[in-house]
Amino acid sequence: MPNRPLRTRRPASLALRVTALVGVATTLVFLAFSWLIVRALEHHFAEQDAGELRAVADAVIKPLREASNSADAALLHRLAVAVTGHHGVFYYVADATGHTVYARQGPNLASLAANRRPVGNIDARELATWQEHGTFYRGAVLRVDGVDSGPYTVAVAMDINLHLSFLKDFQRMLWWATCIVLCIELLVAWLAVQWGHLPIRKVNARIRAIRSSRLDVRLNPREVPLELEELVASFNDMLARIEDGFAQLSNFSADIAHELRTPVTNLTTQTEVALGQSRSADEYREVLYSNLEEFERMSRMIGDMLFLAQTENDPDNLHRADVDLEETVKGLFDYFEALAEDRNVALRLHGRAGSIRADREMLRRALSNLLSNAIRHTPHGATVTVRLTQDDAGTTVSVENPGRKIPEEDLPRLFDRFYRIDPSRQRKGEGAGLGLAIVKSIVEAHGGEVHAASDNVLTRFWVLLPRRKRGLPDGHWT
Amino acid sequence: MKLLVVEDENKTADYVRQGLMEAGFVVDVARNGLDGHHLAMSEPYDLVILDVMLPDVDGWRILQALREAGKQVPVLFLTARGGVDDRVKGLELGADDYLVKPFAFSELLARVRTLLRRGSAPNHPDRIQIADLVLDLPRRRATRAGQRVNLTSKEFALLELLARRQGEVLPRSLIASQVWDMNFDSDSNVIDVAIRRLRAKIDDAFEPKLIHTVRGMGYTLDASDAE
Repeated sequence: MPNRPLRTRRPASLALRVTALVGVATTLVFLAFSWLIVRALEHHFAEQDAGELRAVADAVIKPLREASNSADAALLHRLAVAVTGHHGVFYYVADATGHTVYARQGPNLASLAANRRPVGNIDARELATWQEHGTFYRGAVLRVDGVDSGPYTVAVAMDINLHLSFLKDFQRMLWWATCIVLCIELLVAWLAVQWGHLPIRKVNARIRAIRSSRLDVRLNPREVPLELEELVASFNDMLARIEDGFAQLSNFSADIAHELRTPVTNLTTQTEVALGQSRSADEYREVLYSNLEEFERMSRMIGDMLFLAQTENDPDNLHRADVDLEETVKGLFDYFEALAEDRNVALRLHGRAGSIRADREMLRRALSNLLSNAIRHTPHGATVTVRLTQDDAGTTVSVENPGRKIPEEDLPRLFDRFYRIDPSRQRKGEGAGLGLAIVKSIVEAHGGEVHAASDNVLTRFWVLLPRRKRGLPDGHWT
Repeated sequence: MKLLVVEDENKTADYVRQGLMEAGFVVDVARNGLDGHHLAMSEPYDLVILDVMLPDVDGWRILQALREAGKQVPVLFLTARGGVDDRVKGLELGADDYLVKPFAFSELLARVRTLLRRGSAPNHPDRIQIADLVLDLPRRRATRAGQRVNLTSKEFALLELLARRQGEVLPRSLIASQVWDMNFDSDSNVIDVAIRRLRAKIDDAFEPKLIHTVRGMGYTLDASDAE
C-alpha cells in the first residue's frame, strides 16, 4: 500500500465493532431487566409492609373505637397488648388535641403523626419511609373516630431493615451477574465474529494464491456465504478484465517483436549485402533509400503504438470542444477526394447531426482511418457513404462501402492491434494493422463504441458516441 | 543563419548537425544541458533546437531561462514522449514548435525553415513564377507555358505550398498538415495520389518537370531538373 502523506484513520476492525455492539446491547438489556426486577421486588415488599401495617392499625383502632375516654386505663392496657405476635412493629396514638395517648419504645412516631397528613386507608404507595438511629422504618398515619371521644391520630411503623438489606444483596448479585454475562457475551461474540470471518480468510488465501501466470483462477461464488457472493463475483469480474488486459498486453508485446523483426531483418540483410563488396554511389544510394522507406514505416508504427498507449493509459486526456460532424466529414472528404477519384470511388454524406463535444483531432483521426479503409476496399465505380444519425442515445457515424464480405469470424478481431484479415497484405504499405485499433481506442476514450458488420453487399463500420449527460463537467451535446 | 542544437544523444546530434550544415546553416551543438544553457544565453542564435530530456539541466529550464531573459529566439523542442501534456507544457513555456521522436530529418528541416521564415518579413507576393509556371495568387489561377491549368482549390493550395517553398523538400506529413489541416499520421498514400494528379496537370505535358519526388522524404518543386 502506498504511504499517503495525510494520515487517514483506519476504521475500527469488524470484530471490534460487532463485539462492542453486542456488548452494549447485552448490557442495556440486562440493566433494563435488572431494573424491572428490582422495581417489582420493591413494590412487592411495599405491598407486604402495607398489609402488615394495615393489620397492626386494625388491631390498634379496635380498642380506640370501643373506648369512651382517652384517659381510660383499660384503653391503655388494651392498646399495649393490642399487637402481639408482630416483631419490629411500632404504633402511637394521640388524641384530638395532640396529646399522646399511647406510645412505646421505638422510632419517634409523635413527629410523624404531627407532620404527615393522615389517610383513611393504608396504601402501599403512600407509605412514609425514613431512617432513625441507623434503622429504616416504613409507616403511615391514620385518623380514627372514637365512639364518644374526639378523633384519634394513629401512627404505625415497622422496621424494614431486613427488606432493605435483602434488596441490597439482590442488587449486588444482579450487578455481578450482569458483569459475568457481559464477559461471556463478549467472548462468545468475539468467537462468533472470528468464526464468521473464516470464509473471508479463506477467500483471502485463495486470492493470495493467484499469480500472473494463473489468472484463469476464479473463486466459486457458491462456496462462500451469501453476503460475500457479490464481492466474489465482482472480484471474478475484475480478474477477468485483468486477464483480458494481460493477455492483450502479452500478445501485443509478441506482436511488436514480430512486427519489428521483419523490417529489422530486411535492413540488416540489405545493409550487409550492400557492404559485402564495393559498389557504385548509385547502388549505395539505392540501399539508403530503401532503408529510409523501411525506417519510415517503422517510425510510423512506433508513432501509432505510442498514440495507442497514450490514449489507453490516459483516456481522460481529451481536449474536448464543440465539433461540427458534417464539417468534419466534409473536410475529410476534401482530403480523400484525390484518392477516391483516382480509384473512381464516390464519397457521399447522408444525414445530419448537431455538433458534439469531442476531441476534434482525435475524432478526425478515427474517421479518417475508417474512410481510408473504406475507400481502399471499395470496388471501382462504387460509393462510400457516411451516415450521420442522432437520437436520444447519442450520435452515430457510420461508414459504409460495398465490397467483399469480411468473414464472420474476423469481425470481432478487426479492432485488435496488428490484426489483418489477409496476412499476406501486411507489407504493402497499408499501415501496420493499427488503424482500427486506433479507431477503437479513440472512440472508447470518448466513452463510445465501434462496431463492424459485413454481408455480401455491404461492409459497415459505425461509431456510436453516447450523449453526455448535462451538467457533467466535460461537455454534452449542444 | 546560426542554429544551436542541444541534444545529449551523440548520434542524433551529429546527424542533425551534419544535415543542417549541408542545408546551409551554421550549427553549434551542445551535448548537455549546462553547455546548452550557457550557449543559448550568451550567443545570438536564429533558432534553438532543444531536446527536452537532458541529463542535467532539462530543456524546459533552458527554454524558461531564455524567455525570462527576454530572448525571443524561436525554439523548436524535441520530445521523445509525445505526450499531449509535454506539447502543451512546451508551447505554454514559449516554445514555437515541437517534434516527436522518432522524427524524419526532412520533417525537422521543413519545420526549421518554417520557423525561420516566420521571423523574417512576411513574404506575400501576388505572383510566383518558377520556370514557365506562373501562380496568380489573388485569383487562384495557375498557368504553365502560358496555358491556363484548371486546378481544384486543394490542388491550387498544394501547388502554392510547393511553390512558396520551392527547392525545399516537403515531407508528406507537412503537406497534409498545411494543405488539409491533417495533423496526424494519416494515409500517406493520399498525398502521393494528390501529387500525381497535380503532376498530370502541370508537369506531364510540359518540360522541364517541376515537381520532384525525393524518395523516402517527400516532394519538392524546383526548376532545376535534377532528380
